[in-house]
Amino acid sequence: MNLALRDIRHDLSRFTLTAVGLGLLLTVVLAMTGIYNGIIVDATALPASLQADLWVVQRDTRGPFAELSRLPADLEDRALAVPGVARARSYVAHTIQRELPDGRPLRFTAVGLAWPVDKGESIPLIEGRPLDQAHYEVIVDESLGLQLGERIRLARDMYTVVGVTKGILASAGDAVAFFTRADAQSIQYDQSSEAIRLDREARTQRIRESWLGNDPEFVRFAETATGLIPAIAPAPVSAVMINVAPGASIEMVKQRLATWKDISVYSQEDQNELILGGIVEKTRKQIGLFRALLVVISTILMSLIIYTMTVDKLHSIALLKLLGAKQTVILGMILQEALLLGAIAYTIAIVVGRYAFERFPRRVILENEHLIMLALLVLAISSIASAIGMKKALAADPNEVLAG
Amino acid sequence: MSERSKAVVARKVSKHYGEGNTYVRALGETDFELLSGEVIALLGPSGSGKSTLLTILGLINEPDGGDLEIGGQVVIRDGEFVGNTNRVRRRELGFVFQRSNLIPFLTAEENVRLVLELDGVGQRIARQRSREMLETLGVGDRGAHYPVELSGGQQQRVAIARALIHEPALVLADEPTASLDKERGRQVMELFRSAARERGAGVLVVTHDHRSLDLVDRTLEIEDGFLIAEGIAQKPQGGSGE
Repeated sequence: MNLALRDIRHDLSRFTLTAVGLGLLLTVVLAMTGIYNGIIVDATALPASLQADLWVVQRDTRGPFAELSRLPADLEDRALAVPGVARARSYVAHTIQRELPDGRPLRFTAVGLAWPVDKGESIPLIEGRPLDQAHYEVIVDESLGLQLGERIRLARDMYTVVGVTKGILASAGDAVAFFTRADAQSIQYDQSSEAIRLDREARTQRIRESWLGNDPEFVRFAETATGLIPAIAPAPVSAVMINVAPGASIEMVKQRLATWKDISVYSQEDQNELILGGIVEKTRKQIGLFRALLVVISTILMSLIIYTMTVDKLHSIALLKLLGAKQTVILGMILQEALLLGAIAYTIAIVVGRYAFERFPRRVILENEHLIMLALLVLAISSIASAIGMKKALAADPNEVLAG
Repeated sequence: MSERSKAVVARKVSKHYGEGNTYVRALGETDFELLSGEVIALLGPSGSGKSTLLTILGLINEPDGGDLEIGGQVVIRDGEFVGNTNRVRRRELGFVFQRSNLIPFLTAEENVRLVLELDGVGQRIARQRSREMLETLGVGDRGAHYPVELSGGQQQRVAIARALIHEPALVLADEPTASLDKERGRQVMELFRSAARERGAGVLVVTHDHRSLDLVDRTLEIEDGFLIAEGIAQKPQGGSGE
């Protein structure tokens, strides 16, 4: 006769509610683990999808992901002149938050590809194709909720979704949309006509008031469109991605580029370390502390529950002792109840997690090893919790039964 | 009577609590025998030593000194437990209390069966025997019910079934009729008597209830820790003269 099961059966609703509560608590522990894994994968997914061997960024910065970086666009051409460099692509990215005509929010990180050198062939697509023309096409991540062929208005132009990726997110968890660099910058620097007019007038006024204003040619230039002024265009880029030629040494190219005084160079591994060490580290610590806190709370809660369940049946335990029950029978009952509670709570956490995590705004990634870790954790919590109940049970005195 | 085997033999069993100013003699050196099939009522006022004797016979508390045999087995020698007291309690002792003291999360049938299963009897046989025992005690139809669903008398019958199911050498009953009316109290005492006769158990009933003393074989009176009187119980009018 299994006493643990019979005790549970007798007050099934209390046990069930307790298991559900504990299960939801474990779901949060599981979610924290999954969110952390998701942050790591998300943070490195974008640079990985771009498949660069080296990243050239503004001198002494840790850009373009961990820190802002600005480089002149012509650095692309300079890099191409370095022996061993097969391809140099500029990288621009900025976050955009708009609203679709139906009211849905549209937040994403716009990444500019160096058309025509980079059409997005390295980006893993689940649907559609890479960019095929210099303007008005976009590749989006499926988490953005846009369909292949869907058209969206950004700045002054309509863009068509020609490709869909899966799991390509920026470090903040926003979906990534790939445009040509010109389009990305056009969206980034879009201003209303009035803003452009005021900007142009202000610029002209500044020229007139300076010694340059003595030359009518300067004033005429100031009055033209910004993009046509040679001293101002083109806009800077965030980084330049380098791919070395087959057979060339990445390290050697890196060393050559590193001699330039206006830039810093990072390998893909360096870039991952910068991202994880910078953006993710604090999050990792925070989530780690939060997880530890939840585990402590779960242990206390479970200990309290098992302790209460034991105290509730102390008289029965004293009676069992009087009837000659072995210690193992009594302790086994408490341990089994704790383990069963833990096992049911664990199962609830897995099942709830399976359905709930898909709906989380950030990616929750769980591997088998994480589930095994949680199982071991629950086992440890159950054992600790039952130990407190067992101690109480061992102290139960059969005399109490005779004393009434 | 002397040809019957002895369920209990106690020699110079004594017990005290506290030291110095707090010293209390709970049980003086006591000699005591209970035969198999015999029902003895232990009478005495509160604090006279009844419960102390009961806890020593129930192998819950060790005495200060003395020897004790239960079912021919030495279980206390010179005031110390000998052998596996848990096993002796499982096999040789049955307990009945004032309140039924059934385990609330087990059904009536499971409460009875538990005693057998604790001693390693297989589930199928244990279930069959416990059902038969409940039938014998007139509560066969209540086996699937939890204690809270039973009346006081039914609970006490289930408790008696639990005390007898494993055919112990000694049944210790502590005020088993105190919470019952006269008629039900007599029914319980009759159950003890028939159990003693049919199963050969020695039954020691601690009681304040004089209404059913005609159903026991002997009475023992205890006062200030000493057995002071032994008597033959009154026979019921028109009784069999057993």
